[in-house]
Amino acid sequence: MSHELFVVDTGPLITLAAAQSLDYLLLINVDIVIPDAVLHEATRDAALLGAQDIIDWVKAHRASIEIAATKVYENYDAARVVKPNLREPDLGERAAIEVIEEPDRLLGNERGLLLCEETAVLKRVVVRDRERIVELSTLDFLHILETEQRIQSAEQVFELAAKRGDFLPARKSCRDIVR
Amino acid sequence: MNEKEHQVLAAYSRGEMTAIELRRRLDGATYGEVLRLLSEADLPLPRAPVAGREEQIARARA
Repeated sequence: MSHELFVVDTGPLITLAAAQSLDYLLLINVDIVIPDAVLHEATRDAALLGAQDIIDWVKAHRASIEIAATKVYENYDAARVVKPNLREPDLGERAAIEVIEEPDRLLGNERGLLLCEETAVLKRVVVRDRERIVELSTLDFLHILETEQRIQSAEQVFELAAKRGDFLPARKSCRDIVR
Repeated sequence: MNEKEHQVLAAYSRGEMTAIELRRRLDGATYGEVLRLLSEADLPLPRAPVAGREEQIARARA
């Protein structure tokens, strides 16, 4: 992959963290950007799946990862002053799109990758510059690494992520979980 | 997990619903919680099909 920018959304970050495979993001030689809202979504509660792994990983690689400030997060943060329990499921995705579409991010013929959750690439994330911005799912990314023989198995990473939930305590209902 | 929650998780697992839509339907559940619920329901993570997206993936590899 010879892109200049690699923006990561929340889903892939958590999937890779759950599979203990965050370092795979460092296997490609590009600038990795995690929007502030994505980091917030993934780590706002240290008890969340993968949250502590993500915090530790970002700290360990702070020199090679940019945490990008976004208007999306600024507005969300301001809104939480009056509504502390505010939840916006698309917060991370909107922030990731904001970052990759920033006018100064891609210069000349530079290109960027937006790493999205699987179902986001199906609906085709709305980005303005489709010529230079490619949306890629987590599994696409892993398959590319596998093809380039940088990792052994993309499917194994996905299976590990799925199994990680087995080690977490079961809850009675979704409402219990999100409280 | 009730039947309705299981149904939306299954639809998500089959790639028929986006993660954002699922999380909205699960009262704003986080993506990590979605992973946990999929595991609890013994459902696989959705997989974006490659068919129809080959060119896009090739561009990513270029």
